[in-house]
Amino acid sequence: MATDLRISNISKIYPGCIANDNVSLQFKSGKIYALLGENGAGKSTLVKILSGVISPDNGEVFLNEKNLKLNSPLDAKKNKIGMVFQHFNLFETLSVFENLSIDATEDNKSLRVRINEIFKKYNFSIDLDVPVLNLSAGQKQKVEIIRCLLRSPKVLIMDEPTSVLTEQETEELFISLKKFCDEGILIIYITHKLKEVLSLCDEVAVMRKGKVVSVSQTQNEKVETLANKMVGQKLAKIKKKINISKNKDEIFKVKHLNFYSDDPFETNLVNLNFSVKKGECLGIAGISGNGQNELFQILSGEIITPDTSIIFRNKEIAKLNPKQRREYLMAFSPEDRISQAAVPELKIYENVALNNFKSSNFFEKGLVNERKIKEHSKKILSDFSVNTDNVELKSQFLSGGNLQKLILGRELITAPELLICYNPTWGLDVGAINYIHETLIKINDQEKSTILISTDTEELLKLSDRIAVIYKGKLSKIMPSEEVTPEKLGLLMGGGSID
Amino acid sequence: MIKIEKRNDVPMTLYFFTPFIAIILTILGGGIIFYILGFNPIEALKFYFITPISNLYGLSELLLKATPLCLIAIGLSFCFKSNNWNIGAEGQLTFGAIVGGGVALLFYNQEGFYILPLVILAGAIGGMIFALIPAILKTYFNTNEILVSLMLVYVSKLLLDYLVVGPWSNPEGFNFPETRQFSNSSRMPLLFEGLRIHAGIFLALAAVMLSWFILYKTYLGFQIKVSGLSLKTAKYAGFKGKTMILVVFMISGACAGLAGVGEITGPIGQLHRMISPDYGFTAIIVAFLGRLNPFGIIFASLVVALTYLGAETAQIFLQIPKYTGQVFQGMILFFLLASDYLLFFKVKILNLKKNELRH
Repeated sequence: MATDLRISNISKIYPGCIANDNVSLQFKSGKIYALLGENGAGKSTLVKILSGVISPDNGEVFLNEKNLKLNSPLDAKKNKIGMVFQHFNLFETLSVFENLSIDATEDNKSLRVRINEIFKKYNFSIDLDVPVLNLSAGQKQKVEIIRCLLRSPKVLIMDEPTSVLTEQETEELFISLKKFCDEGILIIYITHKLKEVLSLCDEVAVMRKGKVVSVSQTQNEKVETLANKMVGQKLAKIKKKINISKNKDEIFKVKHLNFYSDDPFETNLVNLNFSVKKGECLGIAGISGNGQNELFQILSGEIITPDTSIIFRNKEIAKLNPKQRREYLMAFSPEDRISQAAVPELKIYENVALNNFKSSNFFEKGLVNERKIKEHSKKILSDFSVNTDNVELKSQFLSGGNLQKLILGRELITAPELLICYNPTWGLDVGAINYIHETLIKINDQEKSTILISTDTEELLKLSDRIAVIYKGKLSKIMPSEEVTPEKLGLLMGGGSID
Repeated sequence: MIKIEKRNDVPMTLYFFTPFIAIILTILGGGIIFYILGFNPIEALKFYFITPISNLYGLSELLLKATPLCLIAIGLSFCFKSNNWNIGAEGQLTFGAIVGGGVALLFYNQEGFYILPLVILAGAIGGMIFALIPAILKTYFNTNEILVSLMLVYVSKLLLDYLVVGPWSNPEGFNFPETRQFSNSSRMPLLFEGLRIHAGIFLALAAVMLSWFILYKTYLGFQIKVSGLSLKTAKYAGFKGKTMILVVFMISGACAGLAGVGEITGPIGQLHRMISPDYGFTAIIVAFLGRLNPFGIIFASLVVALTYLGAETAQIFLQIPKYTGQVFQGMILFFLLASDYLLFFKVKILNLKKNELRH
């Protein structure tokens, strides 16, 4: 029987952001649909609505013209909508079979028979009695898929399924998905990888800033056209004056940066080489999850990698921890304001003391010099126009923008030669974004350098002197930003190549 | 449908007040248990909580039992505050007692003012070394400190068993599983004639003052606080995580070792199998009931010490097993955790029908 899924005028508004703005889409079985978009385009919100995890503020979902009430994931299951999330929901220490039998309604014997039928049909082979923790990421994903198949789904939604898979596993997955599709299961495939859309899907809907901007047949699309739609025509560049002359000194140089992790949710970095000149802003673009986290931690010294060489102001600093790197006048502003850059439960002045550089005398002979820290904090609060002057306030009462100002202030008050920041304006309102951007431009004007790792292409084009793109742990060539267009960035971010 | 939501703003005053609610609930719960067992609950609770401390001897016993609890809990607060789950204080206490006791036995037929300080120092070092085992395994081999520290408790207890029946047993002791009596110079001086309370209480008070100073006034204390709240931030700030783990375990082990040596040089006066009624485990409850705050821990150690005394009195007067003491300790922890949960989360009962109408 044919399946027809219709989303009608769905809207979901979070404080300060419209995640889904009047989204309407139609899907029919027999085809594989791609839902394409950058970070924060609203794909995940839409999928969560379809799987009953969150409920929309407005709009309806129809399955075969029946109006669905999706108040919980259980409702989605009942209505035969299956979902495989990017992060697996499996019990690592239980066996594959135990994981599959948890929410089964039949007895173990007939369940085994049915699982084996599925195995035969789709050429799967997984030992049912080994614990899940022994499986590879691809096999774990198969277990999740089998769990959906056992409920004979009408709709199967895959959320960024290839982010943890090897090339080989990706191919296998595509073969299975095509088989499911031939059997009449409606497949919705969420991704930001352009090539996958073209090789796997029949129809593609592109989302940008919560809206559906285009629906088209993939045969009419190319990597370039999709990239264009995904990133969109960005605003004209309000670029600062480009102030690097070719012969400025290199202040920071990274050679042979490699990182290998056993954790499938971390990205391996492969032979990154780059340098930053005095007064320059080097932008690193990329869709999140392509190695930015790992790169930031290696640059800040939270992860020490062997054989990497990092030269800063003519000194080798690759083996130094963050505190020691600060002494050489580096500063860091991580992506995660709330649980890394600052601790919400601590008072403002205590958070300031986290940047305990030597000349600050915050801690003399191992004792806390509270007076000094508070004086220093007051200066940061006024210099960086944080909307409080109470250093005893707990940081959790600051808004995102004010917290970020405090963090930047804390990092910049040492007049560092190099600031490394990662998504500095993530989740902030326009006013705060402008303030942060102005601050970052000011740093470059004072002949200090910045490395800006960001998933926001607009921000990168506005602030960077040179830009490189990180994709699957590899860095593209570094381009002067006047040569970079949003299309080029979109292409590289989606795994395409230029030239 | 029931929904559980995090509360955004929990007043600090309430946070320090909930331990009292837990204690009141424990007393009520105890009353109910006594009633079910067929006792007059008011009378039973009186035997439990009032009779034991209604005379000078009782008060001395209360302080005697609170001393090791307070010492160990102070040490544990360093570990717990920095996210290190040392639950093997009982083992560190035992090993401290073995090392300290070993030194005391060396001097069994000698007297001298230097002997007691040596014994105490040996006990602290013993506990410290024993706590270093899980700490080193955690920092260099990524083992889980909960498991290792717990399992080492049984190692130390079996070692003590072996020593008191084997090489260290009293040659004139008719094969009883105990060592010689320590000489008077190895014993803690008594504070009052006829009461068992001894100078070890000053060690506990010194530990309270010192720990307050370290936790709130030093860079080490700041690092412990930050690591406890967010390990990611500690890493980002560049704190030496490994060194800190070793240091907090050493502090914790030394405190437990002191508690152990205080017991054997205080009321016991020799080594035998039963040197501690699980003070090391009970101190975990004390640490949390005291909110990991040095002064809170003084108060909590007195309350929990009372459950030990109450259990003994109740055994004598009501003929109920003294293990009811553990029931009370368990209830304190249970009610404390429960009230904390309700303090930090609110339970909302959603009306499903209403919810459906909204869509």
